[in-house]
Amino acid sequence: MIVKDASIPYSYEQFVMFAVERTRIIKNFLRENRQVEVHALSSMLNVSEVTIRRDLEKLERDGVLTRTHGGAVLREIEESVQPEPTADVSRDSREIASVALNMIEDGDVIMLTGGDICDCIARRIVERNGITVLTNYIPVATEIARQPSNRVVLLGGDVADDGRSLYGSLSVANLRRFHVNRLFAEVEGIGENLEVSVASHEKAELIEAAMESAEEKIFLCMGENFGRNAFFRLGSLKLADKVITNPSISDEYKQQIFVRNIQLHTSINVFEGRV
Amino acid sequence: MSSPLLVLENISKNFDNEFLLDSINLDLLPGEVHVIIGENGSGKSALMKIVSGLYSRDSGSIRLKGEEIEFESFHAARKGGIFYQHQDNQLFGNLSVAENVFFDRYAREGRLCRYFSRARTELECAELLRYFGIDFNPGMRVNRLGYAERQLLSAVKAYVSGAEVVIFDEPTAAMGEIERNLFFTILEELKERVEGVFYISHRMDEIKRVGDRVTVIHKGRIVSTSRVNEIDKSTLVGMMIEDPHRERYPRLSLHPGGTILEVKGLSSEPILHSVSFSLRKQEILGITGLMGSGRTLLSNCLFGLAQFTGGEILLHGKQVSFNHPLDAMQHGVILVPENRSENGIFPPLNLITNLTIATLPRFLNSLALNELYMRQLTGEYIRRLGIVPGQFKDILRFYSGGNQQKVLLSRSFMCRAGIYIMDEPTRGVDAAAKVDIYNSINDLVGKGASVILISSEIEEILGMCDRVLVLAGGRIACDLPRDEATKEIILDYATSEE
Repeated sequence: MIVKDASIPYSYEQFVMFAVERTRIIKNFLRENRQVEVHALSSMLNVSEVTIRRDLEKLERDGVLTRTHGGAVLREIEESVQPEPTADVSRDSREIASVALNMIEDGDVIMLTGGDICDCIARRIVERNGITVLTNYIPVATEIARQPSNRVVLLGGDVADDGRSLYGSLSVANLRRFHVNRLFAEVEGIGENLEVSVASHEKAELIEAAMESAEEKIFLCMGENFGRNAFFRLGSLKLADKVITNPSISDEYKQQIFVRNIQLHTSINVFEGRV
Repeated sequence: MSSPLLVLENISKNFDNEFLLDSINLDLLPGEVHVIIGENGSGKSALMKIVSGLYSRDSGSIRLKGEEIEFESFHAARKGGIFYQHQDNQLFGNLSVAENVFFDRYAREGRLCRYFSRARTELECAELLRYFGIDFNPGMRVNRLGYAERQLLSAVKAYVSGAEVVIFDEPTAAMGEIERNLFFTILEELKERVEGVFYISHRMDEIKRVGDRVTVIHKGRIVSTSRVNEIDKSTLVGMMIEDPHRERYPRLSLHPGGTILEVKGLSSEPILHSVSFSLRKQEILGITGLMGSGRTLLSNCLFGLAQFTGGEILLHGKQVSFNHPLDAMQHGVILVPENRSENGIFPPLNLITNLTIATLPRFLNSLALNELYMRQLTGEYIRRLGIVPGQFKDILRFYSGGNQQKVLLSRSFMCRAGIYIMDEPTRGVDAAAKVDIYNSINDLVGKGASVILISSEIEEILGMCDRVLVLAGGRIACDLPRDEATKEIILDYATSEE
């Protein structure tokens, strides 16, 4: 939104203001993405790459970032001193979502169940084209609806207590009509013996129905939920083809899942920036 | 049939990392060469180390000429008449050829007193070498010999050792045709002198040439023992394999982009011959092959560690020549070497130094290193890869193999290179660390880097790679896309000659 303002012709006075504004945008962008590319910034802010390089140099002197070949990565000294627990949770979800995004190909029909991670996936799907998303989660539906190149189908049903998810026989019946390439199901617990559980029986019912029609079944689970049991049992992890989690999952679970021949993906995120 | 010379009964041993030898029964008949084959990591060497006293066994018994033996050490086994020739050489580089050959023989020659005569040793050695047609100067220091020549020398050493049972562990792995012929002459002579030979090999063609009987080991179990003239190659290959578990390898199906690295006709005499292949952006290219097929040399050539005698390397379409690893790193090529404790990490240095040592310029703040930033960034890597215990001042020598490997990988990730060459990144690490390493590889390719994964674990290659190259005898035996590669095909190419 601020980006659009950048393309308006400006006087010299505005330009000085804009230089300040530009650094603010770059800082925000960095905080959000942890990395930037010079050419991306230059097209986003509609200024030359030389200008962006100058801005990055200034920000590097200020200690905000480290310049790399063709871009910059965030230095996080201030952030690491005072970690915000809430911000951390959403960062984990974001990272899990970016692993999931690597599994989605243009033209796929995917199903997203409700939850933070699925919400993050929905936001990133804008990077793909021609995706049809089936969901029972209203925030996902509104997010996809904003993306011109992708479609969304919201399954009907009873509105759950959180006011955002739809469950019940209606949604299950609707779901059965679709063929899904990939199912992304967010689960709340993976306990001993790799027993999967979710928060409610309605959710379990929906995931079971979705698994029947899905080619590839991918479970999403936060690392801290391994070793925990949620309210309703869904079945063995063997049901899934892939599991995605964040690197805080314990070594015992990594080992168990590997030995049981299930693909375990972690959002290990060891490469800063992109090549 | 005469009574066996050496009998192994129900030998079992548990190692960690889900590997064990499971009640092995094996015998060695007088005068025979008994070939033992199996994949890498199937337990061939481990079994022979138990026979030669290097490892202890958990249960079972070993009988030599009907007498129960229990060797406490390697030395005891030598005294008891068992000579084990290691895969890696155990010659003394700073001693002469003659001194090495007669190292443990001549000191006890005199009946009344022990004496050592250099002139006599060298004379006898020269005679011996002439007899086998080996062209070494007995006075030459061993560290001036190449790897294959040292293997040959070890065989001569076995010949004079006076042992009853000789065990060869892949002696011809790095040998050229000439050395191999010499080796087989020595082996023929050796058969006359010793009572039995165990011969560990990878090469199918050698079995027919030297062996009397052949035993296949798979995952710590004996699959079969048969007479060499009663069995053919495809049956043997069939016995060496089992259904691979491909599905457990976390793998992204990305679509690789354009070619970024092209290798044309790369040769490094005498091992590599005209190796050509290309690597695409966001591709995981697997390279596999047996011991001594030139895998590691190839990676060293690509990283500027070894010189090549012919061919060229094109990076992004431009010809490059790396004279030094630093050149390669500046062009965005990183090698994660195979032997981490020797070539990778710095065991006496602490964790933070080991992690940052390749990327110190990143932390440069005018004239000093920004320690706060170093701690912040390495802390992030330690947390993400789960390096434990993970205190900055920990000396790396005391870390487990898996954690050392993670440190080595983190260091290379910090370089943010475009091409990663990983030589056996998962050797000797546990399953949990493997999962982390595979996911790291995925993260690299997901973000636009390319990976050359060199591994002897075929299952891993099948599970992770987009394309598989098989090296055999220093040549590319085949270049298979993922869908066409199976364990059988790979093993078949890997064991083919020419």
